[in-house]
Amino acid sequence: MTPPQPPVTTAPATGLTGFPSIDGAYNEVIGDGGGLRPAWATLAPGLDALGPDTIRQRWAAAQRVMQENGVTYNVYGDPRGMHRPWALDPVPLVIPAAEWADVEAALVQRARLLNRVLADLYGPSKLLETRQLPSALVFANPNFLRPCVGLKPAGGRHLTLLAFDLARSPEGRWWVVNHRTQAPSGAGYALENRLIISRILPDLFRDCGVSRLAKFFGDLRDTLVEMSPRKNDDPHVALLTPGPHNETYFEHAYLARYLGFTLVEGGDLTVRDRRVYLKTLGGLQQIDVLLRRTDDGFCDPLELRSESVLGVAGLVQANAAGHVAVANALGSGLIETQSIMPFLPKLCRELLGEELGLPGVATWWCGQPKELAYVLDHLDTLVVKAAFAGDALQPVFGAYLTKQERSALREQILERPHRYLAQESVSLSTAPVWNDGVFSPRHVMLRAYVVATKDGYTVMPGGLARVSAAQDSMVVSMQHGGGSKDAWVLSDKPATSGRLVPPESRPVHVSRSGHLLPSRVADTLFWLGRYVERAEGLIQLLRAILIRLTEETFPVGSPELPRLFKVLTEQIGRPLESEPAHHPLVHHQATMAYVSSACFDPDHPESLAACVEKAQQLASIVRDRISLDTWRVVRQIGQTLEHHRTDPHDPTAVLAVVEDLVTPVAAFSGLNNESMTHGHGWRFLDLGRRIERAGFVVNLMQLLAVDVDQHESSILSALLAITNSDMTYRSRYRMSMAALPAVDLLLLDETNPRGVAFQLIRAEAHVGALPADRVEGQRTQEEKAVLSMLASLRLSDANELAAVDGNARVRLRQLLDTLQARLPEFSDLLNQDYLAHAQARQTLASPAADALYGEEQTI
Amino acid sequence: MEYHVRHETEYTYSQPVTIEHTALHLSPRPVAHQTCKRSSIQITPTPSTTSEGVDYFGNPVSYFTIEEPHQSMWVVAESVVSVDREPADVEKDDAAWETVRDGLATDVSTAGLDAYQFTFDSPTAGGTKELAAYARAAFAPGRPVMAATRDLTSRIHRDFRFDPRTTDVTTPVSQVFAQRSGVCQDFAHLMIACLRSLGLAARYVSGYLRTEPPPGQPRMIGADASHAWVGVFCPGPGWIDFDPTNNQIVRSDHVTLAWGRDYTDIAPVKGLVLGGGEHTVIARVDVAIQA
Repeated sequence: MTPPQPPVTTAPATGLTGFPSIDGAYNEVIGDGGGLRPAWATLAPGLDALGPDTIRQRWAAAQRVMQENGVTYNVYGDPRGMHRPWALDPVPLVIPAAEWADVEAALVQRARLLNRVLADLYGPSKLLETRQLPSALVFANPNFLRPCVGLKPAGGRHLTLLAFDLARSPEGRWWVVNHRTQAPSGAGYALENRLIISRILPDLFRDCGVSRLAKFFGDLRDTLVEMSPRKNDDPHVALLTPGPHNETYFEHAYLARYLGFTLVEGGDLTVRDRRVYLKTLGGLQQIDVLLRRTDDGFCDPLELRSESVLGVAGLVQANAAGHVAVANALGSGLIETQSIMPFLPKLCRELLGEELGLPGVATWWCGQPKELAYVLDHLDTLVVKAAFAGDALQPVFGAYLTKQERSALREQILERPHRYLAQESVSLSTAPVWNDGVFSPRHVMLRAYVVATKDGYTVMPGGLARVSAAQDSMVVSMQHGGGSKDAWVLSDKPATSGRLVPPESRPVHVSRSGHLLPSRVADTLFWLGRYVERAEGLIQLLRAILIRLTEETFPVGSPELPRLFKVLTEQIGRPLESEPAHHPLVHHQATMAYVSSACFDPDHPESLAACVEKAQQLASIVRDRISLDTWRVVRQIGQTLEHHRTDPHDPTAVLAVVEDLVTPVAAFSGLNNESMTHGHGWRFLDLGRRIERAGFVVNLMQLLAVDVDQHESSILSALLAITNSDMTYRSRYRMSMAALPAVDLLLLDETNPRGVAFQLIRAEAHVGALPADRVEGQRTQEEKAVLSMLASLRLSDANELAAVDGNARVRLRQLLDTLQARLPEFSDLLNQDYLAHAQARQTLASPAADALYGEEQTI
Repeated sequence: MEYHVRHETEYTYSQPVTIEHTALHLSPRPVAHQTCKRSSIQITPTPSTTSEGVDYFGNPVSYFTIEEPHQSMWVVAESVVSVDREPADVEKDDAAWETVRDGLATDVSTAGLDAYQFTFDSPTAGGTKELAAYARAAFAPGRPVMAATRDLTSRIHRDFRFDPRTTDVTTPVSQVFAQRSGVCQDFAHLMIACLRSLGLAARYVSGYLRTEPPPGQPRMIGADASHAWVGVFCPGPGWIDFDPTNNQIVRSDHVTLAWGRDYTDIAPVKGLVLGGGEHTVIARVDVAIQA
């Protein structure tokens, strides 16, 4: 279904001052007389003065920042999947102060009105008895949640945060196209857009006198905190997200971080005694307020939709008992429908005694006989849409249907009229988008946000402007490839503070631990540590192999190469097809193909690329827990691997890519130690690394335990290089390679940060600091597990370990085998005792766990 | 007639369950023709919390949470109920079904609004063109609603085979309609969907049948388990219950537990467990005549 294709009046000009419109549409920049609109008087000449080169340059920098910050919008079924970059345009949409004042007043009015309607429908439902609303609009609506009838939301208010989609008619008048009442998305993107644009256009931003957004978010935070049923100083507010696969997950993590709330998934929460608790490492922590980004029906599998695994069983009961506040109130999706729009003017007069401010787009709900008849008579000019949120039906533009299609649509509507509504086609105004050197016209829509405050509602001075993907398209949707813009509402008052600081009235307590760590987050951090460390080990190993493949003495100069391939095979769990490189030269092609696949093949589950991809996914889940710089480093490693343009058969080129990764991987550990508070989250991240590193070194050391021959010194020097211990070795021993000092350095030396003993000492410190039900004088299982490994090292004698019997080192072999068995056991213990909540959650996909049951079949 | 009802449900899990949240619709609701003299629910292991309430449809509902690890859960609901229901007279109400249908959409009295909501699709009982066509054989133009509904009850009983092996709790109406077999829950959903596809108000009623039939009559189908039938709204007499499984208008042999739009609103036991692995369930129902 493609909307009309109006012709362009003039050829695209390069400057904004001569910006063309699309025929018939309101031109945001240029007035009817051909001159700039007053609101653009500073911005348009300012952008023209910067010139294409400067804009291009600044824009490239901004895009880099967005990419590094990981600003994404997940599109279902997109090949780029979870990493689709957020589409932002550098030219803001400007709205003059006086015009905005009218919009503001009208949106506050609509928010009050919608709140009243919702309170009635979930309460006395007088509106149905008096026929002010057709009862079918409620009863046929699958979003009418009967278990929520009678629930008393905090402060009697159902709607805390709302969004309105606005469009401008050809005459320049703002119209309301739609409203979002249950979990409106995009406010966080609006904020991120603002931060980016104000950074690349700092002078223009200042000179234009743009209203600041920070107060809006401050209000949102204050309102949510005020909603807490427990009147303590520091209520625990959490943002409930459906999870990392949701299209706007970036925003959930971003908002949680900005507002200082805990980001939680349904599986992190549990209801006990009609109270909602967060499962943390330190036990259950009560949650007072939930800002939900999960749709109504999915919030409580016990009372709402049974098939949901996103919600919290018992939430409705906890909410009804008044122990937890939920924003927006459960059930508020009921009026998230355009079907209600035609009733609003009358309801506004009757409920508020006021005339409705902004007009809504003409809408007919087919659940009424007269409206149905009108719609069927005018199918050729209307847009037909689903009447209720959650219906998969896509909008149908009647004008572009064939006769047969139109009569099929008529049949479809007649069979279930309640499911449909029809609207007049919305005309959208035209705004400029930066198109690599020129400003092209695109249709634009504005999503505006309204938040409840102590005295009513307040509107974000700005919003999320969205533009169509193509000049001839009226569809503005991030799911359909459109872009976004910052919206600059000009202010006639001096700018107020731009920082989000807590109001002074509320006492702030020093808290060292921050909010307690959800078990799921600890689990994710643990695996993030493991995957990054696994990547680091692979990088060092691959580097050692590639160096040897490129040396001029190859192959006779590197007899250790086959052994290194053996370790690589063990690490990535897949052998070379032709028996590896007993003589690598003989199969040079195959060898390089194998090495390249170990580096770059994302489909190989244990390749370097796969490890890094996994690390990126895990990092994106705990975005709100790791520093921005740490996140950027992980992204950078991923980008290096994704974007390399290397000939996989050229060892020198592959080596160069691998070497590029060494520094960022090292930076990851540095950043974690220096910029992450050393709380439980950091301990789990570090535990993951320590376990992985110890395992890797133990694997490498196995090379010394068997097949001892005359090539040992080359193996030793490779081992020391891979473990980054060669400098230490040389500074201590100043002699040729020998097994005894190497065994001591890599296994027993408790001061070598690359050695096994050092990893265990760190792990011992971590498990000693984790919360546990300690019995006086007894060690925890984890402490015992680490101690037993450490003891086996401390009780070993380097001389005995290094002693060769025949061609093997029996004692060394025994010790390594013991460690190889005990490290995974230790990891399992940690999982079982600390991360078990997360485990149960992970097996959710299988019907076995967290299952919902029904009654036996009724017969 | 006074009954002693005992409904026992036992769940066994292959893995320990660490937490279990459950909602029960197991206490008979008070109705004009039915008095619940005594009602109790026992749960093993002992729940950490329990609470009682009334759901949107006016049915009693109990919630409980078990927080100790367990591998089996046992619910025993017992009640003493007296039922005295005059059989509805099919001939008495002569409103044409179309008149009833059109009246529902405009009646904004409390009872009218309550009935109207049952004309719309619910999660497991939605109308279709095919079902409307099937129902129209009984609903000839102008036919009184009660007589037509009684006819539809007989047709379902005649056209559909009772066979517990062909369906489970999740079988959709479309499949039941295609295979022409199922159990009482399926027949109830099917009949409700038929009535809704014509624009009439129909609700799902859950309850029990007396275990031993009156002397000289055969034992009824579904007498040793939970049972389900259909309520239909007729403006004169109000809601009249029909049992398509046993081809009859409901009288004093049926004990009413709860009603809703379909099974999902009022499942006798509905719960969510953490852990548990595979589960099996055994239920036993006994409805004895109180001496």
